[in-house]
Amino acid sequence: MMWSWIPQNAAQIRQLTLESAYLGIAPALIGLLISLPLGIACSRWRWLYAPVLSATSVLYAVPSLALFIVLIPYTGLTDTTVIIALTLFSFCILVPGVVDGMRSVPDPVRQAATAMGFGTLRRLVQVELPIALPVVIAGLRVAMVSSISLASVGQLIGVSSLGYFIIDGYQRDFPTEIYVGAGLIIVLALVCDLLLVGLRRLLTPWRPGRSSGETKTVAPAPVPTPMVVAR
Amino acid sequence: MLRGGMRPGVAGTDQRKSPILRRGTPEGHVLITFESVTKRYPGGTVAVDSLDLEVPGGQTMVLVGPSGCGKTTTLRMINRLIEPTSGRILLDGQDIMQSNPSTLRRGIGYVIQQAGLFPHRTIEDNIGTVPLLNGWGRGKARARARELMTLVGLEEDLARRYPYQLSGGQQQRVGVARALAADPPVLLMDEPFSAVDPIVRATLQDELLRLQAELHKTVVLVTHDVEEAIKVGDQVAIFRPGGKIAQLDTPERLLAAPADGYVENFLGFDRGIRRLSFLAASGLSLDDQAVVGEDTSASMAADTARRAGDEYVLVTGPGQQPRGWATASDLETMPSGARTGQAPLEPYGHTFDVRTDSLRAALDATVLSPTGRAVGVDDGGQVVGVTSYERLRAAIHAAEQAVPVPGTPGGAPAGPGDGQVRDPAPEAAAES
Repeated sequence: MMWSWIPQNAAQIRQLTLESAYLGIAPALIGLLISLPLGIACSRWRWLYAPVLSATSVLYAVPSLALFIVLIPYTGLTDTTVIIALTLFSFCILVPGVVDGMRSVPDPVRQAATAMGFGTLRRLVQVELPIALPVVIAGLRVAMVSSISLASVGQLIGVSSLGYFIIDGYQRDFPTEIYVGAGLIIVLALVCDLLLVGLRRLLTPWRPGRSSGETKTVAPAPVPTPMVVAR
Repeated sequence: MLRGGMRPGVAGTDQRKSPILRRGTPEGHVLITFESVTKRYPGGTVAVDSLDLEVPGGQTMVLVGPSGCGKTTTLRMINRLIEPTSGRILLDGQDIMQSNPSTLRRGIGYVIQQAGLFPHRTIEDNIGTVPLLNGWGRGKARARARELMTLVGLEEDLARRYPYQLSGGQQQRVGVARALAADPPVLLMDEPFSAVDPIVRATLQDELLRLQAELHKTVVLVTHDVEEAIKVGDQVAIFRPGGKIAQLDTPERLLAAPADGYVENFLGFDRGIRRLSFLAASGLSLDDQAVVGEDTSASMAADTARRAGDEYVLVTGPGQQPRGWATASDLETMPSGARTGQAPLEPYGHTFDVRTDSLRAALDATVLSPTGRAVGVDDGGQVVGVTSYERLRAAIHAAEQAVPVPGTPGGAPAGPGDGQVRDPAPEAAAES
């Protein structure tokens, strides 16, 4: 480990960290936006969920590099390619998260809301989604962490991120660079995860405290797909 | 009045005549009408079969029966959570299918099993739900919520807590407050007390009776607990499996004259004893001869007892408060000049209030008493007289003569006379 390398390359480290953060966070958030309507639809029309779940599982099984290559003819060797691919992976993780979140709304609560005179949309926005939030955020944590780590694979098609240090360090047989690259990816993922935990706590003061569950960095998220090997 | 006497724990907090909520519909007016309503589910299950039912305004109608008898379906059809396959339901003369479901529901309070509170909203915002939906400002809705918290006996400092921080009983009170928040004339209660333990349940039932004595809402309550039905219902509809009403009657007449074996079986044990809950102890003629002051001379008291052919006299202290039973033989063996109060006394046990308690309470106290006689007191705790089995028997007999049991069970809605028997008098409710 050559510590002096770090200050010498501070500017590049900062630059690539921001790139990595962008490539990791944006897909998770976009994935959330598009999985919400589909997840809500799947929880309302139960027959829809089985085919959707099969489709997302298959999609999730596609190796990320393969997906990049499929997209290159359309979007080139750009950030967009990586973001689209990672958004699809996030989406696959988040759809079951949203469905489970909607299912976590207790029946008596839903029924009471209807009986109080909430219309369908109002009930969704004011009752169901807020109650589903903790479970949805649990899914978002998994999606974001996996998307941050997968972003480094984009380096293989020339989209720069902290993955650059890993590849460059390997090619030059210079371990310090690999440690810095890998270490920063992990730190970035942890920081984002903690921020989401904080957000969840802030948004759900109504949940009984479960301090044991809070300290875990990876939520016991409802991810039905096995973590596929070919990342 | 009578049921008032059955619940010693009721807190008489309300002298005011409800500034918060309007009284419901005047009694006698039919508020909800089912006209040959049938609910058939896809697959052919008939939950409710051609039901005709009239719910009088200002009363509590209890639907009771085993699971799968259609009672809950019946309730949920009133606010269109379930829509009937055929037939009509009228609310205050209006066909409910003609109103917008959300608007209809905001005008009908709904209390659900396990309260169904919104876990993500504070207590005050839970209670303020319908006012908020109706477009009230948050501040006004919260102020309203606090008034209702007082009404249902919740501490105001719970207002900003979340439901998970409350006990089951408190949550259920919040559920009732939430249902009452927009002051609807109709309150639907779907097994409201089934998720709490028996002691809390009894308290909540008492609270419901207290509120209802004050508010006279039109309440439709579903339960599978026949005791609860008899306790809180002005009228009770007993459903049989298949969605038909086996008998609709006042609790007292159900106990006195079940329509058939099914109803009798459903009502369970002790029907005769339980019915005494509806007969007033005031109809009991009490023996005041056997009551002697503690300063009376022992020999005089012994004479009194002997003349009456009794072994016991009740000794009273200052202000006519009961002290205990003395036996005639003890009194006779005491030195001349001794006072009754110096005799060895047996505890007088449970007393009953002659004004508010029922014959059941009087009988119970009598059975529990070691002397086979119980002490009737007035509201100041002063002894009015003592019971005997003979006197109880006479009172029960007289009460049965006075309240004729109709020969046609399963039938007519309550006549005007029933209202008096059922209705806890407001003074009685505010007592104790």
